[in-house]
Amino acid sequence: MVFKKIKLPVSLSIAILFGLILLSLQLMSSATQESSQLSAMYSWLLLANGLGSVVLLGLVGANIFALTKQLKKREAGSMLTTRMVSLFVLLALAPAAIVFYFSMQFLHQGIDSWFNVEIDRAMEDALELSQASLDQRMRWHTKQTQQLVEKLESSSENLATLELENLRQQSEAAEMTVFSYQGRIIASSSVNPSDILPNLPDENIWLRLRQNTQYVALAPVHDDVLMIRVIVKLKSQEQEPQYLQALYPVPIRIADLADSVEFAFLRYQEMNYLRNSLRWSFSLALSLVLLMSLLAAIWVAFINIRNIISPVKELVKGTRAVALGHYDQLVPVMAQDDLGFLVESFNEMTKRIAKARDETRLAGFEVENQRAYLETILANLTAGVISFDADYKIRTVNQAAYRIFRIQVQHFVGQTLLELALNYSELAEPLKSIQRLLEQSDDIWQQRLAFLGANGRQELLCRGTPLFSQEGQRVGAVVVFDDVTDLIQAQKNAAWGEVARRLAHEIKNPLTPIQLSAERLQHKLADKLETADADMLERSTRTIVQQVVAMKAMVDDFSEYAKPSKKQTIIIDLPVLVQEVMALYVLKSGIKFKTNYEAASLLIMGDPVSIRQVLHNLIKNALEAIETQGLIEINLHRVQKNDSDFIEIALYDDGPGIKDEQIETIFEPYVTTKAKGTGLGLAIVKKIIEEHGGAIWVDTSRKVGAGFIIQLPAYTAQHND
Amino acid sequence: MLFSRVFQGHYLLIILLCCLSSLTLASEVKQVQIVLQDNHYTLSTEIDYQLTEKAKEALENGVTLFWTLKVQVAEQRDFLWDKTVVETAINYRLQYHALLNMYRVVIVQPERMKGDIYNFSTLTAALDLMATLRNLPLIDDDKLSADKNYLVKIKLDFERDALPLPLRPIAYTNPQWYLSSDWTVWSLKK
Repeated sequence: MVFKKIKLPVSLSIAILFGLILLSLQLMSSATQESSQLSAMYSWLLLANGLGSVVLLGLVGANIFALTKQLKKREAGSMLTTRMVSLFVLLALAPAAIVFYFSMQFLHQGIDSWFNVEIDRAMEDALELSQASLDQRMRWHTKQTQQLVEKLESSSENLATLELENLRQQSEAAEMTVFSYQGRIIASSSVNPSDILPNLPDENIWLRLRQNTQYVALAPVHDDVLMIRVIVKLKSQEQEPQYLQALYPVPIRIADLADSVEFAFLRYQEMNYLRNSLRWSFSLALSLVLLMSLLAAIWVAFINIRNIISPVKELVKGTRAVALGHYDQLVPVMAQDDLGFLVESFNEMTKRIAKARDETRLAGFEVENQRAYLETILANLTAGVISFDADYKIRTVNQAAYRIFRIQVQHFVGQTLLELALNYSELAEPLKSIQRLLEQSDDIWQQRLAFLGANGRQELLCRGTPLFSQEGQRVGAVVVFDDVTDLIQAQKNAAWGEVARRLAHEIKNPLTPIQLSAERLQHKLADKLETADADMLERSTRTIVQQVVAMKAMVDDFSEYAKPSKKQTIIIDLPVLVQEVMALYVLKSGIKFKTNYEAASLLIMGDPVSIRQVLHNLIKNALEAIETQGLIEINLHRVQKNDSDFIEIALYDDGPGIKDEQIETIFEPYVTTKAKGTGLGLAIVKKIIEEHGGAIWVDTSRKVGAGFIIQLPAYTAQHND
Repeated sequence: MLFSRVFQGHYLLIILLCCLSSLTLASEVKQVQIVLQDNHYTLSTEIDYQLTEKAKEALENGVTLFWTLKVQVAEQRDFLWDKTVVETAINYRLQYHALLNMYRVVIVQPERMKGDIYNFSTLTAALDLMATLRNLPLIDDDKLSADKNYLVKIKLDFERDALPLPLRPIAYTNPQWYLSSDWTVWSLKK
């Protein structure tokens, strides 16, 4: 936070940066003026500006590198930044390049225009003119000196000094000296009396003198004053040669003019020589200015664009987050401008979406809870529930459906009941019935269906409800079915039990007094009546007694039927039991018995007395059907049905068989084909079998005689543990 | 193929180094004579000024060339850098006079404002004058302690910053304009 407070605002830093760049460029520009104080710093300024350019280049390069990386990563806002930066650079570069090009053109042409052949020649001519003028003076002074020498030769050495003074004054020389070959000064005269020592020639001049007899030169003497030095050899009588040196001053005006011409010429020559360097130098400065300002502009553009883009970037990030379902992320509002407004609106929208989503989720939870609750209820219903879609394909199944059908119906979700029926042939009939009912009924229907399930014959009470959409279109159906086997059985049992009880109570009780009364009547009146009457009495009494006995037997049968058959349950080895029962009938002439057993264990759990009675009843029935000669066949084997093991007892005879119309009702009480008998035999059989959880039906596939098939749940050790 | 390329590369490098050494070490401090006279050390030296073609061209076109001869007496120390005891500098200026067709040398001795002016008709003569330095007073013997080693360091510096402005960037980048010598070190023996 503290750091943030002291951090300069971006705009101020940019202003400072630009100020610095401008200052540096201005300094460099001033330094290019030769007279400027900054001239000495030129190289350093150039270096500083160069370094500044490199730093800026580095900054721009780093920014470009970062941008490229972002582009590769497809980061939010990178495309927009690239586009804006490219646009900016293009906009900045195009005019700058044009200005740069024309500036360079002007610069080069301008520099070239400074120099031309005429000025060149004029400068050279001016210099030559100065030189010619000075040469002329030199020649004139040489002639003058030679004349002086002639005068001087005539005078003696002693008078030479005096003569020299005169000659110097005549010739307006600044200094005159006579010196020997050895360099000994013989005589000297100077316009300036303070100059005691005359200006003697140096080694170079001596070298020239030794080759020639005279020497003329224009040279700066004494504090850079331009003078014409003339040295002429004296023709003296002396052994040692002597020389006269005269120093003539160049008139000040001429000297100044010559100086000026020389200065101008040198300056011009220097400029001409430096023309290329100058051009190069100016181009360098101009390029540096352009480069620096351009780089600075690009860098600032980067910073500014980043600032502009940053809310957009945040927005893109936010949008991505929202697209991924994160509604909690709020985009920071950076500025109170249009983008800020956009960001605020985005945040508001996100909040609303989040709220809506939360509400939807809550509602979804509630619905889900409801559904789960309903499903729990459905699953725990004793009634099986199957729902179908419009094409009668199974949509949902509850747990109870499995308990009833012993089929994993939920594995057949999406299929029709007919497909289910193909896999489970024993259920084919009821499933087909349901399918038919589903397709046909437009209203609630109810149907009772029976099938042989794992638990034997089962009765189902099916109720179907077609489902309609609000538009009245059929969208499916629901079938609810209850296993009412036990209920029906119980009802039947209760009804027959009631009948039996009534019979026993209401009928059996008066039977004994009726019989006793009839016998008493017989006993008392037999002797008193006439023979004919006595006979009739005796016949009547006998009929009464017989009928009463028959009725008693019938009542006994009923009470037998009403009794619960499963008094005590033990493990019964069926083959043994069948053998025992058969042993009682084997002796009967004309009847053959045939038994087929499987090697496997054929054990059931049941009441041996009842099961024995079942076998007795069935064999008795068969015997009665066969009457004289025939074959009774008993087969015992194990079968598997609906994942459960059953022991099947099949009993066949070769009698007249059962008529088709009787097959349906043969197991009902009072259904018999026989002249005598109560018709309860098969009913009791069925009752016992059902009470043992088994089933009995007529084997209709058999064409000869009658056949009964009994299936009883097999006993398995782990089953009953 | 690769070998030959490497080989060529080496050759190139060697040639380049030779060029650089020949170009960069244009001037040289050749002879040094240090004499103790009247309790005073004086220095005499010969400096070889090698003017490159560029420098000569510039000179003849009116560009003035500046040199500084730096002479230092330093105390040699074992673990530290040398300590400079005395430092003197002589400034040389060489220019061309178009009017007189002469070369002018101006030598500014240490601690003197005005220089001595010499004119020469040839460049060689001018350079000869500049090359010779006679009896430059270095230091009094009293100022040197007996148990220490002293060095005399000499370097000729070409003043590139004194060149005309447009030439300066070129002078800093073109080896033709490297007219300085390296430091030469001589021990001050008693």
